[in-house]
Amino acid sequence: MTSYLKLAAKNILRHRTRSLLTMLGIAASVGVLFAVLSFNKGFTEGLALELERTGLHFMIVPSGCAHEVAALVLHGAVIPKFLDTGVMEHVERTEGIDLATPILVAQLPDRQRGKIDLIYGIEMDVLEAIKPGWEITGTVPRHEHEVLLGYEVAQHDNLKPGDPFSSPAEGVDLVVAGIVGYSGSQDDAFVYLPIKTAQSLLGYPQSATAIGVKVDDPTRIGAITASLTSAVPGIQIVTMSEVMNSVANLAAAARALSLAIVLIAILISAVGVMNSILMAVFERTQEIGMMRAVGASRWDIFRIILSETTILALVGGVVGIVLATLGARLIETFVRSVMPFVPSGDMIRFEPIVALGSVAFIFVIGLCAGIYPAVKASKINPVEAIKG
Amino acid sequence: MIELKNIEKTYRRGVENVRALRGVNLTIDAGELMAIVGPSGAGKTTLLHILGCLDQPTKGEVVFDGISTASMPESQLVKIRREKIGFVFQQFYLIPGLSVFDNIALPLLFSKKPAEHKKIEQLAEMVGLEHRLNHAPSQLSGGEMQRTAIARGLVNDPAVLLADEPTGNLDSENSEKIYAILRRLSDEGLTTIMITHNPELAGRAERTIKIRDGLICS
Ligand SMILES: Nc1ncnc2c1ncn2[C@@H]1O[C@H](COP(=O)(O)OP(=O)(O)O)[C@@H](O)[C@H]1O
Ligand SMILES: [Mg+2]
Repeated sequence: MTSYLKLAAKNILRHRTRSLLTMLGIAASVGVLFAVLSFNKGFTEGLALELERTGLHFMIVPSGCAHEVAALVLHGAVIPKFLDTGVMEHVERTEGIDLATPILVAQLPDRQRGKIDLIYGIEMDVLEAIKPGWEITGTVPRHEHEVLLGYEVAQHDNLKPGDPFSSPAEGVDLVVAGIVGYSGSQDDAFVYLPIKTAQSLLGYPQSATAIGVKVDDPTRIGAITASLTSAVPGIQIVTMSEVMNSVANLAAAARALSLAIVLIAILISAVGVMNSILMAVFERTQEIGMMRAVGASRWDIFRIILSETTILALVGGVVGIVLATLGARLIETFVRSVMPFVPSGDMIRFEPIVALGSVAFIFVIGLCAGIYPAVKASKINPVEAIKG
Repeated sequence: MIELKNIEKTYRRGVENVRALRGVNLTIDAGELMAIVGPSGAGKTTLLHILGCLDQPTKGEVVFDGISTASMPESQLVKIRREKIGFVFQQFYLIPGLSVFDNIALPLLFSKKPAEHKKIEQLAEMVGLEHRLNHAPSQLSGGEMQRTAIARGLVNDPAVLLADEPTGNLDSENSEKIYAILRRLSDEGLTTIMITHNPELAGRAERTIKIRDGLICS
């Protein structure tokens, strides 16, 4: 016998099923803890990347609609107000602006089909920059009268690329250029089309829900937005970092909630460990008495039992992190289906620091859970335990 | 080498007091093989536990190599158990998850000594288990389990081996083997004390003491 650890490990292996179940409880809760902690990191970084990819520095929206901007940028939202037609001209005349692209999101009633389409008008190259993750069957619209359908829209009307798309305006024949793959988000419900087409379908040639702006020199964003707001009435400017912040705040709130739940799960599994070790101690009363007789002190017994709990907790923790890393894609799919504004790309990345922190945490929890059974074991009276 | 002076032990069982030992005086010389006999409940086990510093008497004192253990703290008693005492029990108490080798070596873990292969092998050979070192206790016969337990009791080179009905769960053939081992150990100079219900074995010991109602009667 070389060490307390070996003895403790052998003891754990004596009740394989029980130990395995207890360990899995730990593994599950630590795995989720690790996922939640890594998720936040991946999420904010992914979000920053996504916003950066749009190439836009700020959005101009009708005043009072600032809250819808995050939704608009990340997956389209109907803003109930349009920008005045003159705004675009103003913006284009402003100095230091590299690119201004109007975005028009609106409901378009189609009386023939008796339904309302959600249309999303935008320059197609800007769209491609915003949505690099899309898998498109067919192509992105190259011509004025081509449209790109969200997955659900295509499903609903059973449309394929090349099919005509019924248009609410007379004399305009629309054709389906492509269909976006299933995303599970609101992207599925939109009809994407060139901004000009959208404007003419809606009957307001200059209208826009928002204008995305890219400036020449990002350090001058402050000055440019200030001059724009003072020069143009009825608009509000939301910078991408403000969008970033408000979404990140939302994510942080969601994380705080999940963390609270995970901590409760960890507590429950810690109680499971305590219970499992306590049972093992009671079953081994005589054996513990024997060990005292052959020279073990109370402290020796305490350490053996404490080692058993910490081994269970540590192994469970490591297994949990391995499982969470392997199952990261699965977790992401789940999160995407329940959470708005999820950026594309990996959200759960293996971060050694986070993994180490999670294991260290469960180690401490394991130590705490082990104290009670270990004290119990060390207090066993050897004379009573080994009644001959 | 061990002297018991007027040992009394009273247990509390609910409201009544059980007087397990009622004034036992006994001197044990180094190297002797002693048998303790007596009816069930007479106090034999209690006496053995007090001899082995596992239990403390209610009254009287145990003098071990000239040193009284009466006022010793638990840490000192543990040290005596580690260094001078070997225990063997009727139910063997081997650890199921450990091999014979590791079971024999277990007390070394507590005395913080390395488990030298040669030493464990010698002990196993002495009790006739050299071919069983890698077996699990569940693969052993009762006699082999008890021989493993004896080897475990010897691994710290004790001055005294205390055996509580070591043959109580064994048939006569295996009992004979156990006795032969204890006999050889005592011939080699180890003080060996054995509680037994087997009058034949007791009769072959150098000295037999009889206990009845917590007193030595002969
Ligand atoms: N831990 C204990 N608590 C209460 N009574 C005990 C305890 N241990 C032993 N006794 C009692 O002390 C008496 C002597 O017991 P024991 O030494 O085990 O006898 P023996 O080994 O000779 O059969 C018995 O009456 C027994 O019931
Ligand atoms: Mg007894």
